[in-house]
Amino acid sequence: MRDKILYFIAAVAVLLLAYDIYKFTGFPPERNQGVIFKIIFFHVPMAITALTCAMVAFVASVLFLITKKFQFDALAVAVTEVGLAFLAGNLITGSIWGRVAWGIWWAWDARLTSALVCWLLYAGYLMLRNAIEEPTQRATFAAVFSIFAFIDVPIVIFSIKWWRTQHPQPVFWGGGSFPPDWKAVFGWQMLAIMLLGVVFTLVRLRQEQFQREIDSLRRMAHAL
Amino acid sequence: MYALMLLQASPDDVVLREMERLQRNFTFLNSGLWVAWLILVVYVLMMVSRERKLKREIAGLKAMLEDKPRS
Repeated sequence: MRDKILYFIAAVAVLLLAYDIYKFTGFPPERNQGVIFKIIFFHVPMAITALTCAMVAFVASVLFLITKKFQFDALAVAVTEVGLAFLAGNLITGSIWGRVAWGIWWAWDARLTSALVCWLLYAGYLMLRNAIEEPTQRATFAAVFSIFAFIDVPIVIFSIKWWRTQHPQPVFWGGGSFPPDWKAVFGWQMLAIMLLGVVFTLVRLRQEQFQREIDSLRRMAHAL
Repeated sequence: MYALMLLQASPDDVVLREMERLQRNFTFLNSGLWVAWLILVVYVLMMVSRERKLKREIAGLKAMLEDKPRS
């Protein structure tokens, strides 16, 4: 039953993505930047999904430290890995957009640098987990590290407000405007990417359950 | 600067340059969308291979535990 729900959500997400691509390729080019502006339909939803994942990881890590329940640790690692994939997509699409809009692949401004630091911190989180064998110690250290890494998330979000950056102000909350039909497709795209994030997280959570099962089977094998 | 260049160029040059700009713009958008899809597909493939590995490991451990009490 759970698998069927998972496949259903995944199918809805993929159909929505296909519909959105069909719709936004039909839109006219943006007046100043041309067609490259349409990369916003992937760049921004990927960023929002990645930062949502970071927020969930933070909450799950705090809850693990309070309750010591391993479900929260599994949730934290699942969303961190998914968020890392989406943040990679955000950074790469942003770099391609920057090459056209600014003439450079990368600028060491506050937004881009803090986003890269965020990616490196969460990659470090996954490496830390691989380096510790004992499950309780691994989960505790990882939770503390995740809470520490989350400090970078508000810096990523508000960097464009706090400092003068090469990265522009956001279209939606920074005084920009979007035609209504673009806004609708953007909303659907946002939902599609979020749903993909949910599917990936659920699959990753199931894998964590398998890993726990392997750990207990290994303990049984050692005991025999 | 770009406007000054446009003023000095002939109409044919302007059209050609604009077409080149549009083409380049489209190529970058295309590669951006491909990269976005590629990242998602690679991640899905990684998860599928990890799941297979985990299931194999569980099956192997269960088989080992079933064999052990008999031996």
